[in-house]
Amino acid sequence: MAASKEDLLQKLSDCVFEMEDEEVVNVAKEYAEAGYDPLEGILKGLVNGINRASDMYEREEYFIPELLICSSAMYNALDVLRPLIPKEKSGGKCKVVIGVARGDTHDIGKNLVKIMLESANYEVIDLGRDVPVEDFVNTAKREGAKVIGLSTLMSTSMNNMAKVVDMLKQEGIKDQIKVIVGGGPISQSFADKIGADGYSVNAAEAVKLVDRLVGEPIPAA
Amino acid sequence: MLKDTMTPKERAAAIAQGKPVDRMPCNPNIANGVARVYGCKISEFNTNAKTIADAQIACYRRFGADSARIFTDLFTFAEAQGAKVKFPDDDTADLEAPAISPDVPDSELMKEIDKIKPADPYHDARLPLHLEAMKYLLDGVGDEMGCSAGVIGPFTNSFFLLGVERTLRAIHKNPEAVHKLTKVSLETAKAFADAAIKIGLTPTISEPMSSCTVVSPKVFREFSLPYLRELVDFIKSKGKGVVIHICGQTNKIWRDLADMGIAGMSIDNVASIKECKETIGMDTKIMGNVDPGGVMYSGTPDEVRLKTLECIRDGYDSPKGYMIMSGCSLPVDSPFENIDSMMNTVRELGYPVNINKLDDMLADVRKRLGVEA
Repeated sequence: MAASKEDLLQKLSDCVFEMEDEEVVNVAKEYAEAGYDPLEGILKGLVNGINRASDMYEREEYFIPELLICSSAMYNALDVLRPLIPKEKSGGKCKVVIGVARGDTHDIGKNLVKIMLESANYEVIDLGRDVPVEDFVNTAKREGAKVIGLSTLMSTSMNNMAKVVDMLKQEGIKDQIKVIVGGGPISQSFADKIGADGYSVNAAEAVKLVDRLVGEPIPAA
Repeated sequence: MLKDTMTPKERAAAIAQGKPVDRMPCNPNIANGVARVYGCKISEFNTNAKTIADAQIACYRRFGADSARIFTDLFTFAEAQGAKVKFPDDDTADLEAPAISPDVPDSELMKEIDKIKPADPYHDARLPLHLEAMKYLLDGVGDEMGCSAGVIGPFTNSFFLLGVERTLRAIHKNPEAVHKLTKVSLETAKAFADAAIKIGLTPTISEPMSSCTVVSPKVFREFSLPYLRELVDFIKSKGKGVVIHICGQTNKIWRDLADMGIAGMSIDNVASIKECKETIGMDTKIMGNVDPGGVMYSGTPDEVRLKTLECIRDGYDSPKGYMIMSGCSLPVDSPFENIDSMMNTVRELGYPVNINKLDDMLADVRKRLGVEA
């Protein structure tokens, strides 16, 4: 007897949460073969699992190795489910340029935000880590991105976040490109101070923040 | 500008005997920023032992800090065991490729790990250069201050042998591989520490990957602690005390570290001096923790003064002693006036700490900055 959609969604979530980065692929295939909605599988299964993992990280029960394997599990299953999403649903939203500001090479937070944004159908251009200020601005201009997302774990790169905002202002395009910031040392007051458009405390909130800024709500799953 | 009236060695000896001194020991932890003081490029530290030492000495003469350490980056051991390191012209070296190629499949991993040998500090990569630099440093300032040698912790070194992400995964997926790598890293660390001690320096261990910001206390206890303890015991058996620095949050492993019988625990700015004092202050000296990025690099001299005084307020009465220090190595372009501000604040305060004077100085700087206590 085929498993119910609810059972498989729970399994997808559990596999991500419990670091089953191989088993999750089988579950995703089973889910896909049963003909269930792939976007729902991503949002209610995989993203749910990574949210539970993030909660454990917040509570200091999961750490970087655990979060890394959870996100691998999520990526492995995304590879199965994402190609099944109809074209008009994927790529329907605007482009977001994302990266870790110059001065830091920690990128787990940025990677989580990327996963979440991609799951919510944003087209994410990932510049990686330790990214120079001008690369953010030039890429956003070239690609016609509406949002720049800046992440850091270290206070050493906070200055460079401010410089991205300044450079957009200098070029007179600050109104067209929103800047969001996040990461360990970052706060709402820091975002306000440097003139960023938004701050989010975690990856899930980052999606809601981008939705709010560019006015495109998550499509109903 | 205030002047020191004692050398770091005189100061340390007097404090150990309970005598008054000119000021509390202070280490801004200038690291590769010494190149900015000496006027050389950071890449010169990769080829010229005398430059490594002379830059440390120039920095000591300029700022008067109580510590000088031969240490350029975290990758010297891994490089000597086969990792590839990139050397920017004027910035700190970085890992380019781990000793074990990312192309090696998991099935071949154990075989490849078995091929990794402990490094020979007298022959491999930049290690002989560092040993030579230690001799120059000792010749230059050895009669004025204790000189230390940076030793990379075994667990941290494993990450550079296997690659950071692959090691993080292997903790859960292939624990035996991590143990093997940490064991062979321990052999390198012991050999290098031994060579440094023979020259006359005191090893200090940097073990950033053991941080609670990276791995859980459980993972630390299983994969790092046994090897770290063996390294600490080895150094102690040679008659040297050892200070450990771990970046990020460390509060959940302080007890484990103090129980090894270390001479000092250096903590980062995200950890609390007060909490550390209350947890292990009765067992070991506490060192830290002015924010290296947010304050020392990007703050003003008055902000440095404020944080320096706040740290001292939290730590000065720690039973086994306290040293004001930055939370981690300073970014290379940290302004000189901020480093001066830290040193001068400590000079002005004097030692033993007069708590009324400290509170007056704190109130003054808070008023100037318009911040609440």
